[in-house]
Amino acid sequence: MSGEALRGLRVVELSEVWAGPFGCSLVGDLGADVIKLETYPRNSETRPLREPDPRVADGDGPVYERVNTHHHGNRNKRNIAVDVRTPEGAEVLRRLIGWADLLVESFSAGTIDRMGFGWETVHALNPRVSMVSLAGWGQEGPYDGYVMFGVGFDAMAGHASVRGYPDGTMADMIPILHSDATVPLAWIFGMVGALMERERTGEGSYLDLAQIEELSTNVPQLIAEWTLNHRLPQRLGDSDPHIVPHGCYRAGGEDAWVNIAAQDDRQWGALAGVAGHPEWAEDGHPWASAAGRVRERAAVDAAVGAYAASDDAWAIADRLQAAGVIAAPVLAPGDPLLSPQLHAREWFQAVDHPYLPNRLLGGFLWRMRPDGPAWDRRAALVGEHNAEVLGELGYGAGEIEALSAAGVIGDRYPGPA
Amino acid sequence: MQPLDGLRVVEVGGTIAAGVATKRFSDFGASVVKVEPPTGAEIRRIAPFPDDRPHLDTGALHMAFDTGKRSLALDLGTPSGREVLSRLLEGADLLVAQLPVPELRALLGRVDAESGPSTVAITAHGMDGPYAERAENDLTIFGWSTRAHRHSVQGREPLRYAPNAGLVQVGNTAGMLGLVAIWGRRQDGRRRDVEVAGVEALMGNVDSSFFLWAVNGAVQPRSGGQSRRIYPMGAYPCKDGHVLFSAARAPFFPNLCRAIGYPEMGTDPRFTDPAQREEHFEEFRDRLLPWLATRNKYDIFHELQAAGVMVAPVLDASEVMVDAQSQARSSYVTLAQPGPGDEPIEFTIPGAPYRMNGLDSDAWQPGPAPRLGEQTGELLDELGYTRDEQIALFRAGVTG
Repeated sequence: MSGEALRGLRVVELSEVWAGPFGCSLVGDLGADVIKLETYPRNSETRPLREPDPRVADGDGPVYERVNTHHHGNRNKRNIAVDVRTPEGAEVLRRLIGWADLLVESFSAGTIDRMGFGWETVHALNPRVSMVSLAGWGQEGPYDGYVMFGVGFDAMAGHASVRGYPDGTMADMIPILHSDATVPLAWIFGMVGALMERERTGEGSYLDLAQIEELSTNVPQLIAEWTLNHRLPQRLGDSDPHIVPHGCYRAGGEDAWVNIAAQDDRQWGALAGVAGHPEWAEDGHPWASAAGRVRERAAVDAAVGAYAASDDAWAIADRLQAAGVIAAPVLAPGDPLLSPQLHAREWFQAVDHPYLPNRLLGGFLWRMRPDGPAWDRRAALVGEHNAEVLGELGYGAGEIEALSAAGVIGDRYPGPA
Repeated sequence: MQPLDGLRVVEVGGTIAAGVATKRFSDFGASVVKVEPPTGAEIRRIAPFPDDRPHLDTGALHMAFDTGKRSLALDLGTPSGREVLSRLLEGADLLVAQLPVPELRALLGRVDAESGPSTVAITAHGMDGPYAERAENDLTIFGWSTRAHRHSVQGREPLRYAPNAGLVQVGNTAGMLGLVAIWGRRQDGRRRDVEVAGVEALMGNVDSSFFLWAVNGAVQPRSGGQSRRIYPMGAYPCKDGHVLFSAARAPFFPNLCRAIGYPEMGTDPRFTDPAQREEHFEEFRDRLLPWLATRNKYDIFHELQAAGVMVAPVLDASEVMVDAQSQARSSYVTLAQPGPGDEPIEFTIPGAPYRMNGLDSDAWQPGPAPRLGEQTGELLDELGYTRDEQIALFRAGVTG
């Protein structure tokens, strides 16, 4: 938050895991008032109830409040936990829709309609509200009701078939969640477009985002290989068919790696100089031209690899960068803390939380002047803002207590069996 | 009417990320001018090309990401070129730029703090700090971001995703923020300067391993392929290819066990208790594989989705466009792209990233990508340059 570009915008999140919730955190970073409507009494996918679980941090307090995948995808919002499948809970959601500018939901296609909150109903409740639906294959089409996470969209969009080691097999392919990172960027863009449309028409819009379609817009070259040249794109690993060297090389030390690329003759000449072999870039040398380096790819890679192995990855990268060559260490999960750049930019964020105290977490995707983002609200506890939010929606203290007693709202999930 | 009708966006730098950043503006109705050096933007030089013949107007990324923009070929290294740019920025809503950082600082320094456009500056490491002037590319920012490390098998080299997936993500981050900045200014009158550093934009996103590690020290095992700990997760062979499962937890796991004829396995603690299941992975796999081996990937997809299991077929580039859902939704569209000859190139691109108010809506309308400098004259006319002045700029080598 502390961003103000979206100040005044009211967002309701009815979504689990990452693509919806993380986007709502980004919208919160930009100043919107985001209310996460947490599933209740069922716990969400990112709130496991039992240990051991590799996602859960050691500590006291409820297991579902100590989850790494939940904590970092849920900053800068308020949290209410409501059973919207009860008539009283549905009324809470109706009032929220009356309050909101945007409703974000990521159920499988058709679910929100069956819950009584399809687009037509939402639009009738509040003609100014917009709605974003994030079902994996979209709202319309033969795969209606099918369920999947990002790993499956990656497989089905053709991306998984080009990732991995060139000598590997599909069974070795490492599942990834790329669409969870890219989808929020798209729906926020669409949301602002809907706000602009509302200025003209006075009415909200409905955005049907199929995660598989959005993911495919990030890799248009895959189908281009097929449609232009009738050739299936191959697993390239870190290599580039037209740039040599371009790869990840083993550096000195255990399991240490450095990425190096020389995209033109100038960078190649600089690399050759740093490696102590200026002759590699002199006229007449077989590696002096971009075409020659492609011709002798294996030999160039071996030579660059020998240099890379001669020192620590960070030192190799420092020396090559000083000469203007593209080079960088490959970072393991905790390694960002070693970067002088990230510290100089004060990128890391000290975040306190009742059950995850004093963590140094990652920072933001951007800086904005004059109102840059800040981590004003840590991930909220389940139902932490029930009373505050329901009060704003016009519920009296007695009514809130009755909803709680009836199990329509809550602030805890059942403990371990 | 398109949602972004009336917005004016200027793209400077010609990089992949800058080109990506302005694409959605253009496709949803904004006017986008691509300012590129007379030698052509970098994005024009990226393969594949039709028949593997390199040409500045037919690179796949250019044709996919520069849709509907107008191209102004201009040398910004000259006072003449900078004068043209300053006229172009008058009345623009947004400037999106990626240049070497010293040039970028100079460019942003010339934007009027009151009346100028909002700006988005794309860099690798940010505009300040000890690495500010380092050059990086798709491969190296990916390595920085911690994703490459996770995308590897222990003992082997970390891998990037598909080429340029990292830079495309940086570009879409920048585009989203540019539109937000325009909106914010409409609300409160304040002009905003946004900085998107590629390393930070990737490292800060939700799938960064650093965040998970920072909360509880988690380091995901780099064992590759099918997970032995959380299963089934990963690609499994079937009769005609592979399917991808993400079905380790209830209700998906018991649903799967029922569907393949082992209902008791779905609740058996040997396969469901996190402390026991790893040592019984082979038993599970030996029951699943024969069932898969007699079925095709789409049959498995439909049968198991109906049974409530998260599974998807693994498709290659030739298969994604003929998938039933892709066909029903027209997920891919074919454009007539002007080529070097008289005949247009039929070029297929992924369709709208989201559908605004129905599948038949005209909110998203990609136009052909411009030839290098195709609209230079038209734009100089609009900016008030006389024909003699335009010839002077051309004669001086400033425009193309």
